Amino acid sequence: MALLEVDDLRTYFKTRAGEVHAVDNVSFKLEERKTLGIVGESGCGKSVTALSIMGLVQTPGRVVSGSVRFNGRELTTLKRRQMEDIRGMEIGMIFQDPMTSLNPTLTIGTQLTETLSRHLDLSRKEARKRAVELLEEVHIPNASRRLDDYPHRYSGGMRQRVMIAMAISCNPKLLIADEPTTALDVTVQAGVLDLLEELREEHAMAMIMITHNMGVVAETADDIAVMYAGQIVEEATAQDLFDRPEHPYTEALLGALPKLDEPDARNGRLASIPGRPPDLLSPPNACRFAPRCKYAGSDDCTTVPPELREIRPGHWVRSAHPASERVREPVGVS
Amino acid sequence: MAIDERLAAERAGKERNASFELAMEATAEGRAPGDAGAALARASLWRDALQRFRGNRAAVISAIAFLALLAFVILVPWLSHEDPYAVNFAEAYQPPSWAHPFGTDEFGRDLFVRVALGGRVSIAIGFAATFAIMGVGITYGSISGFIGGKLDNALMRFLDALYGLPYLPFAILTLAIFGTVNFWTMVVALTIASWFTTARVMRGQIITLKENDYVRAAHAVGARWYRVLFRHLLPNTLGVIIIFVFLELPGVVLGEAFLSFIGLGINPPKASWGTLAQDGYSAYQTHPYLIVIPSLMIAWLILSAFFVADGLRDALDPRAREY
Amino acid sequence: MLTFIIRRILWTIPVVLLVILMTFLMMRQIKGNPFRNSERAVPASIQRNLDRKFHLDKPWYEQYAYYVKGVATADLGPSLVQRNQNVNDVIKQHFPVSLKLGAFAMFFAIVVGIPLGILSALKQNTISDYLSMGFVNIGYALPSFFISTLLLYFFAVKWRDVTGLPTNGWGGWRTWILPSIALGLAPLTVFARITRGAMLETLQQDYIRTAKAKGLRWERVVGLHVLRNSLIPTVTAAGPLLGYIITGSFIVESIFGIPGIGKYYVTSVTGRDYSVTMGITVLLSMLIIVANLGVDILYGFLDPRTRDQRS
Repeated sequence: MALLEVDDLRTYFKTRAGEVHAVDNVSFKLEERKTLGIVGESGCGKSVTALSIMGLVQTPGRVVSGSVRFNGRELTTLKRRQMEDIRGMEIGMIFQDPMTSLNPTLTIGTQLTETLSRHLDLSRKEARKRAVELLEEVHIPNASRRLDDYPHRYSGGMRQRVMIAMAISCNPKLLIADEPTTALDVTVQAGVLDLLEELREEHAMAMIMITHNMGVVAETADDIAVMYAGQIVEEATAQDLFDRPEHPYTEALLGALPKLDEPDARNGRLASIPGRPPDLLSPPNACRFAPRCKYAGSDDCTTVPPELREIRPGHWVRSAHPASERVREPVGVS
Repeated sequence: MAIDERLAAERAGKERNASFELAMEATAEGRAPGDAGAALARASLWRDALQRFRGNRAAVISAIAFLALLAFVILVPWLSHEDPYAVNFAEAYQPPSWAHPFGTDEFGRDLFVRVALGGRVSIAIGFAATFAIMGVGITYGSISGFIGGKLDNALMRFLDALYGLPYLPFAILTLAIFGTVNFWTMVVALTIASWFTTARVMRGQIITLKENDYVRAAHAVGARWYRVLFRHLLPNTLGVIIIFVFLELPGVVLGEAFLSFIGLGINPPKASWGTLAQDGYSAYQTHPYLIVIPSLMIAWLILSAFFVADGLRDALDPRAREY
Repeated sequence: MLTFIIRRILWTIPVVLLVILMTFLMMRQIKGNPFRNSERAVPASIQRNLDRKFHLDKPWYEQYAYYVKGVATADLGPSLVQRNQNVNDVIKQHFPVSLKLGAFAMFFAIVVGIPLGILSALKQNTISDYLSMGFVNIGYALPSFFISTLLLYFFAVKWRDVTGLPTNGWGGWRTWILPSIALGLAPLTVFARITRGAMLETLQQDYIRTAKAKGLRWERVVGLHVLRNSLIPTVTAAGPLLGYIITGSFIVESIFGIPGIGKYYVTSVTGRDYSVTMGITVLLSMLIIVANLGVDILYGFLDPRTRDQRS
C-alpha cells in the first residue's frame, strides 16, 4: 500500500457563473521516500490538487468526490480537528510566495515553536532549542539570535527556508512543495532545491513537487505527472517522460525548453504552444487539449474525452494520439 | 520529420504573431494617450460602474430610498394645503391619523408638513456643508499634494494639529462667534469642524495619481501643470469625490441635529429635524411620535446615503469586493 | 521602541500650543463682556481693576502667553461668571463624572462591538452575520438622542417595575447603565464593522493558510494570527471614536441629567464665561491628543513594522 493514494479526485468551485472544474478526475500513487513532480501551466489545477489533499480548499471551492488515502486513512471524510492533527505532523506543506506566507506580527521563533508545541510534547525551552536547530538545518546563519526577529528582517530566500523549517519541524512523512522556487531569484532557487533534496534524504520523507518549470522536476522527481485543464494527461517515471514523452502536450512543453546546445539555438525562436487552456466553467466533452493539438483531426478527439491508459508499464497517457502510436505525419494545426 | 516540424513551428509562429498584433490593437484601444482614446476609456468606465451598481441590490434599494426621501421633502410642502405655521390649540398633540399622518405638535401644527419642511432645511444644510467641506478639503488637499515638498509637510503638520480640536465644541464656539444660528452660520460651523478628513484623503489621492505613469507621459509631452491637474488628475478623483459626498452628508446632518438638540439650532419658526426632535423630546413619555419621527427621518437619510456610498465604492473599484 | 514613543510625545507639545492659540483667538471673537452680563452694571473703575486683574487690558499675544503659562502650571484661572469658583474647581467637580461615563461607554463599545465583529466575520453570509450587521447599521444611523430617549422610554419608564432603572441622576451603579449604552452604541457599531472587515481581509491572507497548513488549532489561528492583525485597524479607529465619546457626552448628559462637563460647557459658552469655556476646550483637546498618542503607541506595539520606520 502506497503512502498516498489519490483516486478520482474532483474539486469544483461554485461561482456566480457556474461551477469551475478545477480538478477533474486526478489519480496517482506515491510511495514512501519517493518524489512526485506535478507539472503544468498556470491554472491547470496542480495547486488545487495539493490543497485538496491537505483539506485547505476554501469556499467557494470544495472536494466534490474522490478519495485521498494517506497511510491507509481516508482524509476527505475527516473532521476538522482530525485533519488539524495530520497537517504539520504527518504532512507538511510549503507555498509559493515567502513574502506573504509568514505572519508579519509574530517573530520567526514564535511561528516555529508554535508548530512544535502543537504536535510534539516539548517544554518551552526544548521547543526553542529545537527551533534553533531547525534554523541551522536550513542554513540560516546566527540562528539563535535571528529567532526573535520579525519576518520583515529576512530576505525572500531566507523566508522560504524558514517555511521549509516549519514544514519539516515535526518530521512529517510527506512534504508538499507548491512552486517553492517560483517567487525567488534564479540565483537562490538552486540553493533552495538542493536544501529540499538534502532534507528529504535526511528525514526520509516523500515529496510532491509542484511546478511549471520542467527543469526543476528533471532534477528532483522520481515520477512526474503532467496536468492540463484539471486532469492528468501523462504520468511516468522522470526518466521515461523525458526520454520518450507520449502526450502531445508534454512534447510541446519539452519542445518549448530552450536548447542551448543546438547549433541554431541563438538564431531560432522560442517555440510556444499557441492558443489557451479551455474554460473550466463548462469543460468540453472531448479531449481538452484538442484545440491546441497538432495531431487532433476531425476524429474522436473533438467528441470523445480520452481515458488515462497504460501505454507501457508504468507510463500512462490520456490521448488518442500518443507518440508511440502515431503512424503518419501530423494533420496540421487546428 | 524535421521539415514538418519546421513547417508546424512556422505556422505556430505566424499565429502567435497574429495574436500578438491583435493584443497590441486591444491595448491601444483601451489605453490610448490620445484624446479620442481617453474619452473612449472614460465613457466605458462610467458605464461599467453604472452597470455594477445596478447589479447591487442593496445599493439600488438605498438609492431609491434616498431619492424617495428627497421627493418627500420637496413635494409634500409644495402639494399640501396645511399651513405649517398655523397655531391651532384645539388640535394640539394629536396622534397620527388620516388627517395628520404624523400627528400634530403642541401648537396643533401638522407634523407631516413640518417634518418635510424640516427635512428641506436639514438636507439643504447637509448638502451645503458637504459641498463646502469638499471645496475646502479638496483645495487644501490638492495644493498640498500637488505641490508637495516643504509646503506639503507644513500643511499636513498643521492639519495634524487641527485633528486635536474637538468637533462639537468647535462648532459651538463658531456659532457663538456669529451670535445667531441661521442656515449659513450653521453651514460654516459644521464645515469648519469637519473639513480635515477630506483634505487628507484628497491629498493622498493626488499623490497616488501624481506618480501615475500617464501623468508622467503627459509631462513628457510638455503639458502645463494646470492641464495635468484638470485634465488628468481631477477627473480620476471624481469617483472618490462622489463617494465622499455620500459619506460626509450623514455626518453633517447628524452634527446639525446634535447642535440643534442642545439648543443651538436654527431659530424658530424655521425648523430642522434636529429642532423638531428637541421640541418633541420634552413630551416623549406621552407623545413619543414627536421625537420618533424626526429621528427616524435622520436615520433613513444616514442609512440610505451610507449604502449608496458602499455601492458606489464597489461599483467603481470592484477589486475590493468580498463574495 | 522608546525613541518612537518619545518622538511622538514631543510632537504633541506644539500641537497643544496651537490648539490653545486657536481656541483663544476664537474666544476673543465672541462679542460680549462677561462682566457686563451680570444683573448690575459694573462701575468703570471696578471694571478697570477687573480688567487689569484678569489681564484683559493687555494685547492679545500677552494674554495668550499668560494663559499658556497657566496651562503649564495647571492653573486655568478663575471663573469669570461664578465669582467664587476657579475653573479648576469646576473641572474637578464635573469632569470625573464625564470621564467615568466615557470610560463605561467605551468599555461597552469594545466588549460588545469587537466580539460582534469577530462573530460576523467567522460566520460570514449566514443569518447571524446578516442580523448582527443589520443591528449594527441601524444602531449607527439612529441619532444618540433618539437612542437615549428610546432606552429611557422603555427601560426606565414603561418597564420600570422590572428593571428598576432610574430616569436620571448619577449615583449608584443603576444610573450608569442606560447612559453608557446610549453613548457607547455608535462607537460599538464602528468597532463591529471595522473588526469584521479587517478579519475578513486577514482571513484571506497567505500566512493564515500557512498557519492552517501547520495544523494549528483553528481557535489559535483565529485567536492569535487573525486577531493580532485585525485589531490594528480597529485600534486606529479608536482614536477618533474617543473624540466622539468625549463630545457626544454633551447630549447624553443633558438627557439623563448627568452633572458632567458637557452640560456645563454649553452654559458657559452662552453665558460668556470665557475662562471656563477655554478651560474645558483645552482640557478636551488635550484628552483627544493624549488619546491619539496612546493609539499611535499601541499601534507601534501591535505592528512591528512601523517601529522600524521613521515616523
